[in-house]
Amino acid sequence: MVSAAAPAIAVDGLVVDRDGRRILDEVGFAVGPGEIVGLLGPNGAGKTTTLGVLSTLLRPSGGSVRVAGYDVVSHTKAVRAAIGRVPQDIALYPRLTGRENARFFARLRGLKAAAARRAADDALASVDLLPRADDRAATYSGGMQRRLNLACGLLASPPVLLLDEPTVGVDPQSLERIVTTIRAQAANGAALLYSTHHMDEAEQLCDRVVLIDRGRVLATGTPRKLVASAGVELRVDVATQAALRDGWLAGLAGVRVLESDGPQRAGRHDVAVAIDSLELAPRVLERASGERATVLEFRVQRASLHDAFLALTGRASRD
Amino acid sequence: MGSLAAIVAKDLRLLARDRVALVFILIAPIVVICVAGFSLASFYGAGPSGQTAYELPLVDEDGGELAAKIGEQLTAEPRVHVRRVATRAEAERLVRDKRAGSALVIPAGTREALARGESPRVLLFVDPVKYLERLNVRLEVLRARDELAAAERSRVVTELAAQRAALREQLEALDATLARGREQLAAAEQGVQGERARAAAEVRAAFESAAARVRSDVARQVDAQLEALGARVDAEVAARAAAVAAPAREYLAALADARTKFEAWFAELQRLADRRADRIPPPPEFPEPPPGLTRALDEPPPRVTLPADLGIRIELPAPSLPSAAPPEPAVEIERPSIAIPDLAIPGAALAVEEVSVSGGPPTINTFDQNVPGFSVTFLLLGMLLGVSLGLLDERDWGTLDRVRALPVAASNILLGKLASRFAVGFAQMLVLFAVGYLLFDISLGPQPWALLLPIAGVVFAGTAFGLIVAAGARTRDAVLPLGSIVIVTMAAIGGCWWPIDLEPRWMRTLALAFPTTWAMDAFNDLMIRRRGVEAAYVPTGMLLAYGLAYLGVSLALFRRRMR
Repeated sequence: MVSAAAPAIAVDGLVVDRDGRRILDEVGFAVGPGEIVGLLGPNGAGKTTTLGVLSTLLRPSGGSVRVAGYDVVSHTKAVRAAIGRVPQDIALYPRLTGRENARFFARLRGLKAAAARRAADDALASVDLLPRADDRAATYSGGMQRRLNLACGLLASPPVLLLDEPTVGVDPQSLERIVTTIRAQAANGAALLYSTHHMDEAEQLCDRVVLIDRGRVLATGTPRKLVASAGVELRVDVATQAALRDGWLAGLAGVRVLESDGPQRAGRHDVAVAIDSLELAPRVLERASGERATVLEFRVQRASLHDAFLALTGRASRD
Repeated sequence: MGSLAAIVAKDLRLLARDRVALVFILIAPIVVICVAGFSLASFYGAGPSGQTAYELPLVDEDGGELAAKIGEQLTAEPRVHVRRVATRAEAERLVRDKRAGSALVIPAGTREALARGESPRVLLFVDPVKYLERLNVRLEVLRARDELAAAERSRVVTELAAQRAALREQLEALDATLARGREQLAAAEQGVQGERARAAAEVRAAFESAAARVRSDVARQVDAQLEALGARVDAEVAARAAAVAAPAREYLAALADARTKFEAWFAELQRLADRRADRIPPPPEFPEPPPGLTRALDEPPPRVTLPADLGIRIELPAPSLPSAAPPEPAVEIERPSIAIPDLAIPGAALAVEEVSVSGGPPTINTFDQNVPGFSVTFLLLGMLLGVSLGLLDERDWGTLDRVRALPVAASNILLGKLASRFAVGFAQMLVLFAVGYLLFDISLGPQPWALLLPIAGVVFAGTAFGLIVAAGARTRDAVLPLGSIVIVTMAAIGGCWWPIDLEPRWMRTLALAFPTTWAMDAFNDLMIRRRGVEAAYVPTGMLLAYGLAYLGVSLALFRRRMR
């Protein structure tokens, strides 16, 4: 039972070591009932490990982790009964129908047959899959599989939901449906820990975010607060016909390249630049034009969580 | 229990929708059983159904009846397909070209040599590589030879017996003829005796008739003389009596008158005496004439009676008949003693009768070995794929972690997998045995239900073995080589692919460490040796023990991995 006073998820000083390597180092955060907390971080940051500990699949090496008031080590079964887990990779039986998948997981949650049928249909309805409920999961589109994957985590309305990148590769319609469903669960009092790469999604959906990298918590707070704490207010997006050479902004104070994509398509290169003040925008445009790389597009906008994320975690690619 | 049932139902659904797995556990073994059953038939000699008959070229250089008989004998044997070829060169070529494992040549003069009592040889071209075929063909040729020899011996014995019987019949006919001669002689002798008796009787009758006539004439004459004599005597007597009777009658009448007068006088006297009458003494009685006299006077004189038998005896001399000649002694015809010698039975080849100590047939249906053998092999392979790869599938699908994060005991996850695969394995074995029974007429033994014991045992052991592989192998790439090596080894050494007796002793001892060995031991006992359910108790117990041991190891491995 999750009390109103206690957080549904309470992580304090979580340490996970594997093969002599520290995966999580003193991670701490909390999620209250009805709250959606985004767990952000680049690849290998420790998001999935954190969710693994919370869902009892991994044993922590240190620290305290409580879910729904239960310690994940000493009360494993109680924790499992309290959580709904939506894994990052689609975890379904492809040769079973959507309804059979949902009913199976409902039965394993301890529901009787009739209750499992009802719970399965409710969950399928919540992700708008009832019309295709009797088709095999293997025949579903990627977005439908994602929705079914989510539905199987929502069975019997668990008080704690652990969502590991539930929207990877989905179309906008499925994304919309998933977001709506997640919000509905939070509105019903569930505590949601939501791991994602999609900053805009986290920005829209999450009440708070926890940014971790290399096993450590870099920042926590609301998305706006995180952006502010990253020191990024404005950004300029420049699209040029030819690639800009390295150091094209050298000597220009108050600017730094946030990200530089390779050619997205023939004859177009995109670069994102953080500027400390709006006055720096024309200077950036001049530098880009001076590089004899015809500017195709130039846009100035407020910095987003995405920008803050890059600012905090750096531009280097992660394994 | 609800979660366990859900896991079992889910696994059965997944399997039912996995066409590849269904083909692997049902179609593949049937195909392999067919292939192996036909191609490995030579382990037991060619199959009795004739479908795997050996090709045997036959060259008849002798051109005689013997070759024809050998050919017929071998042709009648379904294990051999006789192909007649013209020359021994052609036969040799067929063997050299590997189109036949052996070829039989019956050299010229074989029949004549046999007729002379010699022991000729037939020639068998062989390919030493085809060892089993060579042995089996040689056995068939020797069997044909023995059967021909037995038939020839039987023919000779029958012929001798027939001749002996004919001789006996002829002797019996001779004895009958002699008996008839003796009877006819006896009858002739009796006829002579009869004629003689009849003639004597006739003479005696004629004499008796003449004697009777003489006696009659004499008696008649005597009677006539006596009659005349009597009449004369009677007349004389009558005359003399009449002369006496008249004076007598007169006297008697005078006497009667005097008496009457006296009685009247006396009556008057008494009357006169009146009261004194009683004092008168009675008068004297007149005597009565004797009645005989009166009667004689009243009756005629009796006739003179002549004696009926005068005692005249006329004795005639008996006729003299010739005395009967003493019977001639009977003619005795004696047949000289003719002894029929005992039938000389020619010596026979020593026959060998195979007696199956278990009561089963000495030759077996190849599929009695192959159906259980390859069913067990594919059962284990199915378990490898179904349990090990099934768990890896679940890991790859992410469902294993998803299930692990649910409030269900890890043991239930494994037990559910075990139960569903056990059910599938059991059904797989039943289907394969049913196919074997329907298609290949395999033996199910005297108690078909007893097969359920080793089937259950080996399915349990196989399922638990699949769990070990699943727990020990971390990747799909590790499962197939590790699992298939172990399964192939267990199946081969355990006698699933060939009779375990072909293996050296040390390997057979090693094989006891494999559940396949115990399973095949039970199947062979029940199906081939036709033993009862008791033969399955120990092997089934061993299989269950192996299964429990595997299960314990697999659970320990899983716990270690889960940590």
